[in-house]
Amino acid sequence: MKFLHRYIYIFMTALLVTSCSDPSSVDSCEESGNFIIAATPQALDGVADYLLTTESLESGSISTVGCGQEQDGTYRYYVTNNNKYFSLLYGQGNPGAVTTYQLNSNGKLDELSDFQSETVQAFAPIEDDVLMVKAPRSINDPTAYWYRLNTENSQFTDEGQIDIIELAGNGEGAFPSWLTQVDDQVFMPFSTITGQGNNSFSTSYPDSAWVAVYSYPEMALQTVIKDDRTSFIGRYFTKGLSVDENGDVYAFSSAIATDDNGQMISTKPSAITRINGGAMEFDQSYFFNIQEASDGFYLTDHVYAGDGNVLLMMRDADEKAPYTTGHNFAIVNVHNQTFTWVNGLPDASSILNVTSMNNYVSEDGSTVYTGITIGNTIENEEGEKETVFEGSYVYAIDIASATATRGLEVKGGAITSINKLEPAE
Amino acid sequence: MTLPARYSYPLSGLLLLTLLLAFPFLSSAQQQATIEGRVVNESAEPLTGINVALEGTRWGATTNANGRYSIRNIAAGNYTIVASSIGFQTRKEELSLNAGQTHTWNITLQQAAYNLDAVTVSGKSELREVEEKAFNVDVVNAKKLHATTLDLGHALDRVSGVRVRESGGVGSRMNFSMNGFTGNQVKFFVDGIPIDNFGSSFQLNNIPVNYAERIEVYKGVVPVGLGADALGGAVNVITNRYQQTHADVSYSYGSFNTHRTNANLVYVAESGFTAQINAFQNYSDNNYDITVDVADIETGAYDKNREVERFNDTYHNETVIANLGVVNKSFADRLLVGITLGQNYDEIQTGARQVSVFGDWHRKGNLIMPTLKYQKSDLFTENLDVSLNANYNFGEEQNIDTSHRRYNWLGDYVEYEGPGGERSYSKYKYQNNNGLVTTNWNYQINGRHALSLGNTFNTFSREGHDPLNPDDITNDQPKKTRKNVAGLSYQYSREDWNVSLFTKHYFQKNIYVQSYNPSGDYGDVAYRDRTSNFSKMGYGAAATYFATDNLQLKASYEKSYRLPNSNELFGNLVNLEGNIELDPEKSHNYNLGGSYWMDLGSGHRLNVNQTVFYRDASDFIRTKLNTNQTQQVKDNLGSVTNLGLESQVYYQYQDKLAAGFNLTYQDLRNNTKYVDGRTTESVVYRDRIPNMPYFYGNANAEYTFNNLWQNNHSLSIGYNLLYVHDFYLYWPSLGTNSEKLAIPQQISHDITITYNLGPTNRFQFTLEARNITDERRYDNFSLQKPGRNFSGKVRYSF
Repeated sequence: MKFLHRYIYIFMTALLVTSCSDPSSVDSCEESGNFIIAATPQALDGVADYLLTTESLESGSISTVGCGQEQDGTYRYYVTNNNKYFSLLYGQGNPGAVTTYQLNSNGKLDELSDFQSETVQAFAPIEDDVLMVKAPRSINDPTAYWYRLNTENSQFTDEGQIDIIELAGNGEGAFPSWLTQVDDQVFMPFSTITGQGNNSFSTSYPDSAWVAVYSYPEMALQTVIKDDRTSFIGRYFTKGLSVDENGDVYAFSSAIATDDNGQMISTKPSAITRINGGAMEFDQSYFFNIQEASDGFYLTDHVYAGDGNVLLMMRDADEKAPYTTGHNFAIVNVHNQTFTWVNGLPDASSILNVTSMNNYVSEDGSTVYTGITIGNTIENEEGEKETVFEGSYVYAIDIASATATRGLEVKGGAITSINKLEPAE
Repeated sequence: MTLPARYSYPLSGLLLLTLLLAFPFLSSAQQQATIEGRVVNESAEPLTGINVALEGTRWGATTNANGRYSIRNIAAGNYTIVASSIGFQTRKEELSLNAGQTHTWNITLQQAAYNLDAVTVSGKSELREVEEKAFNVDVVNAKKLHATTLDLGHALDRVSGVRVRESGGVGSRMNFSMNGFTGNQVKFFVDGIPIDNFGSSFQLNNIPVNYAERIEVYKGVVPVGLGADALGGAVNVITNRYQQTHADVSYSYGSFNTHRTNANLVYVAESGFTAQINAFQNYSDNNYDITVDVADIETGAYDKNREVERFNDTYHNETVIANLGVVNKSFADRLLVGITLGQNYDEIQTGARQVSVFGDWHRKGNLIMPTLKYQKSDLFTENLDVSLNANYNFGEEQNIDTSHRRYNWLGDYVEYEGPGGERSYSKYKYQNNNGLVTTNWNYQINGRHALSLGNTFNTFSREGHDPLNPDDITNDQPKKTRKNVAGLSYQYSREDWNVSLFTKHYFQKNIYVQSYNPSGDYGDVAYRDRTSNFSKMGYGAAATYFATDNLQLKASYEKSYRLPNSNELFGNLVNLEGNIELDPEKSHNYNLGGSYWMDLGSGHRLNVNQTVFYRDASDFIRTKLNTNQTQQVKDNLGSVTNLGLESQVYYQYQDKLAAGFNLTYQDLRNNTKYVDGRTTESVVYRDRIPNMPYFYGNANAEYTFNNLWQNNHSLSIGYNLLYVHDFYLYWPSLGTNSEKLAIPQQISHDITITYNLGPTNRFQFTLEARNITDERRYDNFSLQKPGRNFSGKVRYSF
């Protein structure tokens, strides 16, 4: 029996040691603050994003190790409205989930609710709602759906349908790029697509821009504004309109319409156009040719900073790609049509990824904070060059001087979104 | 939910102890007598694991896979030699041995008309039941479970170090893990034939435990006879081989409208002609309740923690295995030609996560598989034994997703216009064209030296079409793999130790079409033909030593490879996405173990087993969720280490009480410091591998009332407890502890009551209650399993 006693003793000791080595369940995360940064781990990839909070974007470092609200699944998109933070799972045809957070007085996120949503292609804050549109990319299924998400109770309060063939009016189907509130209306720029063949996003109308105008909250179509000086406004999952302090609407076109073989076929340059406040037509006297101003680049995304200043993400027009965010940055003033490249950023070729949708603009409009993940180019096993994750940083871009300064480092993840919330009461 | 983020390494003390215990020392050989021979059954098939011993002495041995044994260094004198094993009549003979003499004792054992528990006990009291094999092997006596309604998967779940994870109820997909190895790192065999080709109609989740006589579970190092790329171990199911006309029929009914039938019929003629039919059927609605967040179909609002019934999860399968042939002929000890026919139907309730719910999607499959089995001992020359097995699967599988709807957990749905599916509009039907040939040669050079050569050849070519999408060129692209694994081993045995050295060659060729992006633009797709070849050598050694009559030590090492299988490469079209980029996995496996037997007197016996293992794997293949979490996908994870500890304790009192427990702790760590040439250290370097149970165990007890009110009536009451410690879904070190997603701790209790009547258990009545406390249990990315459920079973045999 001695052996048995000894055996049981050893085993129980081992178990005890094991359980004692558990760290306490007290959270070790010290970070808190008003800024919410979504980080996608670049390690050997778990699939979860983490939402980190921090006080400052200017300096220091935060890490996903031991910190961050775990998000169930990547391919998440983030939007804020009504001082709430919405995390949307893009489920690629399967229902996505939406989780809502608010900031507590300790500078940490509290989960308010989560609910099931359709996977949508456009979502934007409109009044106190988040308006979402699920758009088909097949001509055989010509109905798009819109959903009105009430941010007070995180529930869908209304929904409706849009006949995309009727909206396009040219035999193709309308595919919305994004949604923007203009006064009390919703402007929805779209391209028209064939919805069939090798490339369902191909079009026979590469040289036109359309904006559908809806009343809100009824979502009744008021009119469709058309312009033949540029290709379509905005891109897939990309906002293409911003409203300035005068109420004028600026429209950003990448000129990336494609044919059935994926060839770029727009004859128009990448440009900025304008719809004057209250008008239901493009201002034909305003045209800002970005491709010319940049000497051969096209814009992929824009961030409106204030007073007509806009940060543009740019890419070589000889390497046009329909879904790629540019890694070159420029500041333009849409009022006086000036163009300046930004200094102080890493070389475009060493940038792995930039935050396209959620960049933070300081309250005075003087600084845009953007997340830039830089990489290291290596040769992989097959002898091909490959850029691998090196580090992810917030860059503060000063509008006046067009100069970027490296700020906060995010360890263990690529920054995909920067937002700010105030503590909820 | 809180969980430990990181563990320290508490095992070093135990490891040290085991190392000390295992310190090998060799005994000196002497000029003494030897007994050797071969044990066969009435059909002249070799019997493995038969104990042969000299009564009242410490001399004994166990027969190997060829039925051979040898007992050496016996002092001259008069002895009674005994051959016995569970399920066979014991044979005894008196003999006298002279110094230096080699005595040959070949015998045939007859199947016993037995009371199993009694045999077990008397067998153990006369002869210690030992595993002579140097491999780390557990043998499950499946006959003890024949009264239960378990399938093979759930029977294996009770083995130490083993966790069987499933995605739902009857017929649901199972994922086997053993000592940190999961899925196809562990290979399954039926009578030595790999079953990974057999399609969905013949798998762990639907084969009743009655099909098996015993189950051998090899942990870590696998003998070459099971010639496959089993990197983490192997499970070999030894089927019932009744040597006389025999029938065994059972039927059970249980919760969730579950019906299971099993029939085993054997006819043996005087001439040696034999016919065997094994048929089984499973049916279940699987409509058990689960607790989920139910989304309102209109508003999307989640109704939290609501209890709902599963509604699209009916499963049924019907399988018949028929064999015709001869035994005991000059040209063959056994030559069987057979066919396995089967079909199954499986409704798919969820995606890889419970949040995606389906209402109409289902799949079905069939199995048409001719088989050939040949066995001959002493071919060409004495002591050369040969076996050959071949089969080809003509079966088809079909994926049917034609309902253009979106469901919620209440069964409400939104119907969409036009054609479409719930996940992807499909009626894809495919044939995997699996072929398999295995051969084994064993040569016993003399009593001490033996050579084995095993080879397994495997072919796969998926061909399919989708009537709904006839123009989809990806369906016409080649999806082919060819695999060959050859192994050569040499065994040397002495009376109290033996050693085995082996080498294996792994070959795989994949022919496929790779999609790539020619322009670098999002969404651009082109295809190119690809062929990949893999050819590598592995090797290893295993040794065992009997330090005393009561203490056996085992040590083994292997450098091994695991080739990705066809479903991992090309997908299973349900919840496993293919990954053609998957590389073979390489591992160094070290195992060290000890077994100690104790006779505490007055019928009390105790057995203690302790194993320490260490794995150092590169290109570790693990399961993760695909990017949008709808399916699982296999992925190579740079480098992983696993230091683990496994304990088993069993206690027996006469033929009345048996009780025991086993516990497994494994410290699986990510060992990749720099990913893909990065210069910054990975933030999850040395982090615990997520979504893998790492601490789990079983406890069980059974009490038998013999001769209740009349002879031959007995009642047993059994209890089984299953424990799984909680674990994280994603990397433990990332994110705020208190907010992390985790699979909670699971404890379930099962009770089984069996009543036997008739001279040889002719009738058996069993009542089973599983998960009696109605605990919520989860598996595989938090899919919920059945709560409390009951079943009853009637079994008749003659």
